[in-house]
Amino acid sequence: MINTENTKAQMRKGVLELCILSILSQGDAYPTEIIEKLKETKLVVVEGTLYPLLTRLKNTGLLNYRWEESASGPPRKYYMLTEIGTSYLKELHLSWYELVDAVNKTIKK
Amino acid sequence: MNKTVTINISGIIFHIEEDAYEALSKYLSTIKSYFSNTDGGNEIMSDIEARIAEMLQNKTNTVKQVVLMSDVEEVMNSMGKPEEFANDNESSHEKQFETTTNQNNSGIKRLFRDGDSKVLGGVCSGIGHYFGFDPVWLRIALLLLFFFAGTGFLIYLILWIAVPEAKTTAEKLAMKGEKADINNISKTVKEEAEQLKKRMEKYGQDFKNMASNHSQAPRNAVEKTVDFITDIFTYLGKAILKIIATLMVIFGILFFLGLSGSIFGFTFIENASGSEWIDLFLLNRTDFYLGILGIILFVGIPIIMLIYTGVRLLFKLPYNNRWINLTAGIFWIIGLTILFFLGIKTSTDFNITAKNRESIEVIPHDTLILTMHQTPINNAEMIESDEDQVDDKSFKFNYRSDNDYTIGIDENHQTYLIGHAQLNIIKSQSNQIELVVIKEAKGKDKLAANERAKNISYTVSQTDNTIQFDNLFKVNNADKFRFQDLKVILKLPVGKVVYLDNSLKNLIYDIENLTNTYDGDMVNRRWKMTEYGLACVDCEGLVSVKDHNKQNEDKDSEDEDSKEMVNINVNGVNVKANDAKVKIDSTGVHIQTNKK
Repeated sequence: MINTENTKAQMRKGVLELCILSILSQGDAYPTEIIEKLKETKLVVVEGTLYPLLTRLKNTGLLNYRWEESASGPPRKYYMLTEIGTSYLKELHLSWYELVDAVNKTIKK
Repeated sequence: MNKTVTINISGIIFHIEEDAYEALSKYLSTIKSYFSNTDGGNEIMSDIEARIAEMLQNKTNTVKQVVLMSDVEEVMNSMGKPEEFANDNESSHEKQFETTTNQNNSGIKRLFRDGDSKVLGGVCSGIGHYFGFDPVWLRIALLLLFFFAGTGFLIYLILWIAVPEAKTTAEKLAMKGEKADINNISKTVKEEAEQLKKRMEKYGQDFKNMASNHSQAPRNAVEKTVDFITDIFTYLGKAILKIIATLMVIFGILFFLGLSGSIFGFTFIENASGSEWIDLFLLNRTDFYLGILGIILFVGIPIIMLIYTGVRLLFKLPYNNRWINLTAGIFWIIGLTILFFLGIKTSTDFNITAKNRESIEVIPHDTLILTMHQTPINNAEMIESDEDQVDDKSFKFNYRSDNDYTIGIDENHQTYLIGHAQLNIIKSQSNQIELVVIKEAKGKDKLAANERAKNISYTVSQTDNTIQFDNLFKVNNADKFRFQDLKVILKLPVGKVVYLDNSLKNLIYDIENLTNTYDGDMVNRRWKMTEYGLACVDCEGLVSVKDHNKQNEDKDSEDEDSKEMVNINVNGVNVKANDAKVKIDSTGVHIQTNKK
């Protein structure tokens, strides 16, 4: 039981980076929006996972952010893809489809 | 009715119930500790706080103004437990470490400081986790040790420096891992022994194989042997290392107690008043403090490093902090330099020796009784009114040796130096009884040395025919210790008689006499000055040293006829032949013949 949960979590973690970048390629977003989209697809179980990941992506230069005032709460941090991030995402897309193909073939045998 | 607290998260103000506040604040500080040593930890933290503020804001409105416990719980659920998401950002090494601990449930328990339940640096709670007991007892023990020359403080400080704080999840897990109790230790030892045994068997097998076809791989055999020996040594080495580390810590602490004891006088050792001695050597107060500092650095740093290294080896602490080594080295060299310069500076004050002669008038009597007066010193530890009492202290104190100086304390709590006087009796060149006190001291020049010698205080008093000599001389603290010495010489004209009281035993020193009697045997007797030296008046029954020697010599001569001898030493020249003796010493030239 614990092991399957753990494996599932590890799988989700692996693709989370790709998903975040993909969401941001559709337009700038702030963490809450990203979380909502991820939650719809059950890719994120706990929100906390997102913040360290965003910071890491930003620190490696894939993301950038700007502050935007919010009418109802604290100022929001809107993340966007950088140029490096965009090309990085393309590469990830390619390898993702390759991986999906490979995995599907392996599983279906 | 519930009490609320006002808090500010990400610039938004919330009214929150007290229990909810407690929970939230604990939650946030846990998250914070997880991210405290990762890159951008602060940024992650503020992002998370902003999100929490947003979520809480959605849960409050103009009607429901207060954040409740249930709200906080919801926030925490949706945000997740720190251990669920914090691992993401840890370095690969820590991940690796964690997976090994997960796989192997026995887990490597390591010593860390526990920053979450600390009083000062989390040392005690960390050790508590390591050995699995309540840190309170350790805290009490250290506090008690603090009163033993601050040892507790020192140990704590060293542990604080040596033991890293548990910051990441992996470290916290390792810190709280399986208790290192006896069962575990024996388990580990068994496992290691088992491993060793397996390897031994493997080696044995290898050797057998090699023996059967040893022409095949001689090089391999050598390698195997080397492996085998290396293994044994590694195993032994580990055990020995632990023992050495333990000894290092124990000795380090003992040395520290000794050092602080001798310098600051927290002492279990009698008369170990080190700081007073330092004061007596050095020129002034500034030098004194410098000297203390120098000694603390020069001796203390190696001691601290000894304990530090011991602790590190003992708990396999990984970080060898180069900064600490460097600082310690620099301070040690500073200490050495201070002592070096103080040494040079002070040694000039020992340049010249001066002797000061002082004559004391003696009212002549045909027979003088010489006694010793136990110099009163206001040091309760040392004073012994009953001089016959041969208890350790009094024995040590009465026993005279050249380098025996002590420190006394007067009624104003002022310390002063005490030295032992010497008494000698020689033949007077005139027909007057003369008493000369020779005081000696060193100084930077003749004048200073002479002044210092003069300042030595010593009392000789006479009542009727009894002369009383102090056994000790005193040196004022301001005069410092400069090898002060004091000799009293009683010059006795021919024909006069002295009675040496028993108390003189430790005051008289190597008094020349015709019978070569030892000082100890000279007391309780009358001695008459003759042309040739002191002769005993009532020595019947005493086996004099001379007679004693002579008997021995007679015995010897039967065997090897070695009665003749020539002896030259600091006391003078002593020549013995079959029928004559010539003796030259401070009392003059003595010739004795045995011609019939």
